[in-house]
Amino acid sequence: MSVKEARDAILHAVRAARPPAVAMPVARATPVATADAQPSMLDAFVDASTAAGAAVVLGERRDIARLVTGGVADAANVLSTVSEVRATVELASDPHALDSLELFVCSGTLGVAENGAIWLATSDMMQRAALFLATHVAIVVDAASIVPTLHEAYARIDIRAHPFGVFVAGPSKTADIEQSLVIGAHGPKELTVIVIGASALQTP
Amino acid sequence: MTAALFIPCYVDQFFPHVAIAALTVLDRLGVRVDVPDGAVCCGQPSANAGYAREGRSTLERFVDVYAEYDRVIVLSGSCAVHVKHHAGEVVAHGSRTDRAGAQVAERTTELCTFLHDEIGVDRVASLGATLDKRVAVHIGCHALRGLGLARPSELQVRPFDKVRALLGTVRGLEIAELSRPDECCGFGGTFAVAEPDISVKMGRDRLRDYRRHDAEAVVSTDMSCLMHLGGLARRERIGLPMYHVAEVLAGTAGVT
Amino acid sequence: MSQRSFELPVLGRPAPVDHAAAAAAFNADVARTDWHDDALWFVREKRDRAAALVPDWEDLRERASAIKEHALSHLDEYLVQFEANALANGMQVHWARDADEHNRIVLRILSDVGARRLVKSKSMLTEECGLNPYLEANGIEVVDSDLGERIVQLRKEGPSHIVMPAIHLTKEEVGETFHEHLGTPAGLSEPIALAGVAREHLRERFLAADATLTGMNFAVAETGGFVVCTNEGNADLGMALAPVHIASVGIEKVIPRAEDLAVFLRLLARSATGQAVTVYTTHVHGPRDGQALHVVLVDNGRTKQLAREEFWGSLKCIRCGACMNTCPIYRRSGGHSYGSTVPGPIGSVLTPGLDLERYASLPFASTLCGSCTAVCPVKIDLDGQLFRWRQRVIEAGYTSTTKTLSIKASVKLFDRPGLFRVAGALARFGLKIMPRSVARFVAGPWGRARDVPPAPGQSFRAWYRKNRGERS
Repeated sequence: MSVKEARDAILHAVRAARPPAVAMPVARATPVATADAQPSMLDAFVDASTAAGAAVVLGERRDIARLVTGGVADAANVLSTVSEVRATVELASDPHALDSLELFVCSGTLGVAENGAIWLATSDMMQRAALFLATHVAIVVDAASIVPTLHEAYARIDIRAHPFGVFVAGPSKTADIEQSLVIGAHGPKELTVIVIGASALQTP
Repeated sequence: MTAALFIPCYVDQFFPHVAIAALTVLDRLGVRVDVPDGAVCCGQPSANAGYAREGRSTLERFVDVYAEYDRVIVLSGSCAVHVKHHAGEVVAHGSRTDRAGAQVAERTTELCTFLHDEIGVDRVASLGATLDKRVAVHIGCHALRGLGLARPSELQVRPFDKVRALLGTVRGLEIAELSRPDECCGFGGTFAVAEPDISVKMGRDRLRDYRRHDAEAVVSTDMSCLMHLGGLARRERIGLPMYHVAEVLAGTAGVT
Repeated sequence: MSQRSFELPVLGRPAPVDHAAAAAAFNADVARTDWHDDALWFVREKRDRAAALVPDWEDLRERASAIKEHALSHLDEYLVQFEANALANGMQVHWARDADEHNRIVLRILSDVGARRLVKSKSMLTEECGLNPYLEANGIEVVDSDLGERIVQLRKEGPSHIVMPAIHLTKEEVGETFHEHLGTPAGLSEPIALAGVAREHLRERFLAADATLTGMNFAVAETGGFVVCTNEGNADLGMALAPVHIASVGIEKVIPRAEDLAVFLRLLARSATGQAVTVYTTHVHGPRDGQALHVVLVDNGRTKQLAREEFWGSLKCIRCGACMNTCPIYRRSGGHSYGSTVPGPIGSVLTPGLDLERYASLPFASTLCGSCTAVCPVKIDLDGQLFRWRQRVIEAGYTSTTKTLSIKASVKLFDRPGLFRVAGALARFGLKIMPRSVARFVAGPWGRARDVPPAPGQSFRAWYRKNRGERS
């Protein structure tokens, strides 16, 4: 009915209105990331992540459980997609049930050095809800997966592969009240970033 | 190379000493300039007020008067920008060709730009100017962002500042670093009377920045800015003399 | 001045916006003007520091501008591509020619599922369409979940900045609002405490929402998905919980490819707040299981702007707000003084296109200093467009006879050097003999706070003639 009508009218108007064609710019020359750039990218990532308000710790897989639960004392309400941390919550099908979640632990695909962001994507909507409902979130990311900028990140990920994907940089925050920074807006109050495999990066 | 000097209307009427200083500087540097009669205004006031159509005749007259010259040196950043951006729109009429406007646009330059780019700092230094004062420098916004007289603080490019380079030749002169190095003074042509409250507030804030950093005087590329800032300073009895760069280089800053 | 920036026309047309008068009222409180100005300048400085850390910043701006110009010049193709891919991703796609059609579509989606509680995240488009009052008039409870938007919603005002909606309010004023509407103790103004109360209050709303509505920062044609950037996680809480998600977007927000996102996202947060990136950059490529995801593509004057050779560049805007933060006039007059959904320099080149008579004063709320153009991440020539809108305003006759006559008189003077000389001499002579108080008065709006320059004895022209002889 009027859906087609509106669509046709708008597309017709666009075709009549659009300016002369402008070419897409040539792709930028991407600097090739070398293995020995990785330690300094790790440093940059840690700095940027910390600046965004995350607590960043370096460790190995075996340290994860200790690092996570050590930071969140008495976390009775835990959801985890990381095998090293045991969930205490039964996964239901209703994300509303996760409202009182205290801790959510998950893995990120890659980290971005320039801004401290970590990419996570999932088709599991309980995980998606947990990422925002939990009071504390911990994300495990491999040091070898850190890329310099978002350009490299987008080259490596397929944003269409999952219905939900997100770059996360720090805990939720707001400065809407007189520009005063408040950590913990509507989403998590704390973000812990656990970087594993840093030792494997050391150049011999 | 034939060169002409254009003196904006308000400089001609209210700040002749600045025009005289500009002439003095050019004389001493061996730059012979004509100061032709006939063009009183560049057309910017009408155009910026939205009356570009009504002001066309003014710009056409400018083109006619200056068409013959290899170089048109303008004693105002905002006038120079207006001519450079709009003279090319002037069409053929009488003996004027279609190209005349574009040519004048291309050959027009502002005084400080001319001194820096075409005379060179070393030759300007030979003027031997001195001024024992700590000054705040105000580059008019059109000169700054429209003519590239210095790196605007927004732009992420290597810093450069042609005005500082020129003032660097003046012995005894100290330049104050400001909290807001290149915020607009608030004159804005008809803005000064169309939105007087904000215009005045912006000017007052500049003065406050200058005084906070112990500036004893203000040096600018544009007398329009100084007309506004000076008017404010005098009304509020703030003793802050205002000089054009030309006056400083001519050694006539503060000399009555 | 607290008022909704969107006015529902009741009878006849709303009065033209008088920016100068609104600005004068704002400036009456000097201390508050300084506070507002400093707050926004601080954000500008944060932007500078963030940009300085990106070695290819200016190249990025150039790319972003070119990608947007390319996209706009092929907009129909990208819209069709986006729609096809979005449909394949399981979304429903609607098209709205104007604000009314958008609002009706949203209401219908809600009524179809009996939804009565809607939680919204920030969308300037829906502000523009006046969605909230429309839905409320139709029995829908609408809660704005972005903290700044929630604050102004409770105060029944419009946002004064597109990124920091409550930048014009002190924490004491926020405290008063929360005391009145959320039951906080009188006098509580500490931001952490207030934000904590808002968190509880809004968490309840997220959990109880029947539907959520978000905007989009970018719609990606290649993948049929969209990106929503927030710091608070409010858009995500809405999207993760509500059974119905409506995403409204202006058609100009479509970009070609996923890889283009890198260019824009590297510029967006740094330009807006000085952060390297927002806390959450969410990519949506399909509904949750059992959720309905509706996309509403909105024209509402955008194709008209696209057709304007002089102004279509304004559609490149990625709504970062950097132009507002840097604009010396915006900082000293506040967003509400523009009387438009989007204020500041970009508002002043977008809004006149919607109603030239009503917004005729906006292109003049500027000294054309060019700072906005220099910070714009997509290189919109804002000061150039402001200049050209001024010509359109005068051509359309939205000016006063006095102004036109005085311009014409001045042009006559400038075109007759002899007459100019005489007039100038008279003026100087008059200034010399006139008492200061009279000079102030004669100088009109100039003279209220400024002296006129001291009148020299002779003009430069006269001096030149005397000392250098006549030269042609």
